[in-house]
Amino acid sequence: MENPRQITMIQAVAILISTIIGVGVLALPLFAVRAANSGAPLVTLLGILLGFVGLMIVTLLGMRFPNKTIIQYSEDILGRWLALLGNILIIAFFAVLTSLTAREFGEVVVTSVLKTTPVEVTVIVMLLLAAITTRNGITTFAYIHVFYMPILLVPVLLIVALSFKNSDVINLQPIWGNATGNMLPGILTIAALFQGSFILTVVIPAMRQPNKAMKASMLGMLIAGGLYITIVAATVSVFGSEEIKELLWPTLELAKATSLPANILERLDAAFLAVWVTAVFTTLFSSYFLTIHSMSKLFRLRDHRMFSFFLLAFVFIMAMLPQNIIQMYTIIQNFGRIGLGITIVYPGLLLVIAILRKKRGEPVRNQVKENAQ
Amino acid sequence: MSKRKAPKKQQQPPVSDQALKELQNTKISGNLEETVTCIDGLLGMNADFLKRRFHVFGQYPAVMFYYSSLTNSTMINTEILKPLMYPPPSLEGQSIEDDRLKSILINDSLYHSEGQMVSSIASLVEGILRGETVIVVDKLDEAFLVRTRNLDKRAIDQPATEQVIRGPREGFIEMLETNISLLRYRLPTTDFRIETMEIGRRSKSKVAICYMDGITNPDLLKEVNKRLSNIDIDAVLDSGYLEQYIEDNHLSPFPQVQYTERPDKVVANLLEGRVAILVDGSPLALVVPTVFSQFYQTVEDYTERFVLMSAIRMARLVALVFSLVFPALYVAVISFNPELIPTEFAVAVAGGRAGVPFPAIIEVLVIEISMEVLREATIRLPQQVGGALSIVGVLVVGQAAVAAGFSSPITVVIIALTTIGSFATPAYNAALALRLLRFPLIIMAGIFGLYGIMIGLILIMNHLLSLKSFGVPYMSPYVPGNFQGMKDLLIRGPLWWMSERPSFLQPLEKNRLGPEAETGYDMLKTLHKQTENVLDPMNVQKSKGASANGESTSDHNDPSRGNTD
Repeated sequence: MENPRQITMIQAVAILISTIIGVGVLALPLFAVRAANSGAPLVTLLGILLGFVGLMIVTLLGMRFPNKTIIQYSEDILGRWLALLGNILIIAFFAVLTSLTAREFGEVVVTSVLKTTPVEVTVIVMLLLAAITTRNGITTFAYIHVFYMPILLVPVLLIVALSFKNSDVINLQPIWGNATGNMLPGILTIAALFQGSFILTVVIPAMRQPNKAMKASMLGMLIAGGLYITIVAATVSVFGSEEIKELLWPTLELAKATSLPANILERLDAAFLAVWVTAVFTTLFSSYFLTIHSMSKLFRLRDHRMFSFFLLAFVFIMAMLPQNIIQMYTIIQNFGRIGLGITIVYPGLLLVIAILRKKRGEPVRNQVKENAQ
Repeated sequence: MSKRKAPKKQQQPPVSDQALKELQNTKISGNLEETVTCIDGLLGMNADFLKRRFHVFGQYPAVMFYYSSLTNSTMINTEILKPLMYPPPSLEGQSIEDDRLKSILINDSLYHSEGQMVSSIASLVEGILRGETVIVVDKLDEAFLVRTRNLDKRAIDQPATEQVIRGPREGFIEMLETNISLLRYRLPTTDFRIETMEIGRRSKSKVAICYMDGITNPDLLKEVNKRLSNIDIDAVLDSGYLEQYIEDNHLSPFPQVQYTERPDKVVANLLEGRVAILVDGSPLALVVPTVFSQFYQTVEDYTERFVLMSAIRMARLVALVFSLVFPALYVAVISFNPELIPTEFAVAVAGGRAGVPFPAIIEVLVIEISMEVLREATIRLPQQVGGALSIVGVLVVGQAAVAAGFSSPITVVIIALTTIGSFATPAYNAALALRLLRFPLIIMAGIFGLYGIMIGLILIMNHLLSLKSFGVPYMSPYVPGNFQGMKDLLIRGPLWWMSERPSFLQPLEKNRLGPEAETGYDMLKTLHKQTENVLDPMNVQKSKGASANGESTSDHNDPSRGNTD
């Protein structure tokens, strides 16, 4: 077997960034604008802060138990049977999250590019891709995220940069938005987009220096969050909040509205969507990996490979349950908000109980050895 | 991997021939005729096997055996037969006791540096099979084994597949010894070590494992040794046989072992901390461990100046990516997203495709496959015919296919560009992998468009990222990131930047420079400090004793001016 402690801080940052940035970005400005009109960037910021609180709790827990995943240390903290309930909830939640991500992107592809392809096909292709790849170990998992990270950042930044000429700052004012009352659901929805960062619970036990996990999560959150705010700000400043409410995937529309100089490509949306497959893949890959890795830990198995294809059927069926896009987005929003209870409140409880009961994992032994590379 | 009988192979090569197995423990009895019958029985039926009876010093009966096809007969005549027939001048006329005969023969008579005494019949026969000459003398319990091997070999030539404009022109040949000499003269240091072993039950091929002591990681060397000694096949006819056994992932289309026929490339790799494997009979050395970036680097990248070669390396990378995705991209854009390309061009493409009855994917696949056929045919045909065929194939068939309405002109352009792109990849085996993977990508593009291409590319990349060569991640130094290594990844950094050996090879000695300079940059600074503009016109003036205060002469240091005035 490979040496399990190989992931460096930078790799952990890359994992966080490419996990967080995913299909949610396409609809993100819509969620934000619905909550606060022109205050969308502010809502996004608040959502990011909430997401960061959750990530911080998970990181603190991980650093407290540097050798264990949440499945294992929750048993230490709560006792076996109580923790079992939490663990099953976590696994089920991420299995559903995986299927919803696949479904959401499948719908995007079917609606905007492959108009005659059944959504089942695009979903199963995406899920198969993730399932095949989860048959690798955690080190390869990290490599894959590191490799794709630049591919995620470049197209977004490019499109944002190119859209400057159409943008108008007046669309962003007032910064506070017009309807401050119903901001909270929007904040929760946006915070739910950061649930992928829960992957850190699996990453920390494989990190070479788990004490750097906090730095990693801050950096990862900063870059991913910065990108989210940039996208929201760019989209709102180009379209204005009222128009965005009419668009299903404003970010995709932003790509459609921009064109490369010298007319190399007449429209960017299909190309953007093609590149975005990688972003969705990394997100899907992370949640799929998290699910089966947690399952293997729950059943106390050393190897998670056997679950790769076992889970596929369940995830696929769950992905096909929503009747249409409208229903799917209702489910995604509600489910995401409920999920915050699992990804923020539950770890928060664990942390408080761990501090009260003075539970602490063993420190890592060979922490000093920082090899080159 | 199992650890069966690994270490002992080196000392005692296994005797596996049916006949020799029985003789493994038989020793020479001292009875000449018995030995002769035994060896004769094994080898005597061969036409090129020679048995020559003579008398050592005119009195002791002896027999000499060798294969005439493997040996140099002049050498046998003058350096073995002659000194053995005549007693040495110091001993002339004296009678020699039987027990002294052996030492006199080996110490005083035999004019040959590579002679040894052997008692086992099995090793004698093996010696004969290798081209050595055996001399058995009556009443001696040991026989002489003298190295007289002389094989015809081709001259050292330009490497056929790895040509460079600037760089050494020598390539390996089939003979292991010549190949080692090519390495040895480039590395006259005690640190350059060669371990040999024999692999192949029948071919008994000599395999040399070359490494630099004090640089190469000893664990790597041990692993190479282990993997090689576990190979037990009947013949190793080329280093490619070994490659397929020692690579990490046998099913991957990507090569995980690099081969080269350039000694300078092998030496450069040895100095980075890699291990080279040479096989007798193969002009291609294997280099392990291998990472993907090696397949688009060439020797010339390092011999020519860095700015230019960085640009050329980028061009090569573009070609590499082209050869993989270009036709798939074309199929996807034409069949699914024609709105991506500028309208005027889209109209031109549609016009070109107007008469073509097939969908783009069929058209591209047909032309691609016929291109593969053409390429294969050009390689197999004799050289005189090959040139003609490739022109006929590319020009006439391509033109005719367009004229016949079988394919659009743009398809032909795309396929031609792709094919040329695949030739720009320096490593044939890597280019082959990309060439093969192009087909599934085209099919994916035909079914799912750009989405399909991305799925295919992600699959390929994930596979590459999970590959390992002797534990080194295949995409090093990009993933896992290593700043030192990145200097030689997309661009070729200046030599003084790259003062460290690649860290993913975990060499024992990290720094390439001498002890004085910390980094290559320091060395460069020292170099600049001691650089003088000796021929600067000002300096020349000073040394002539002309005005030292900076005033220029009336002809502005231009002597030709004076004549025209």
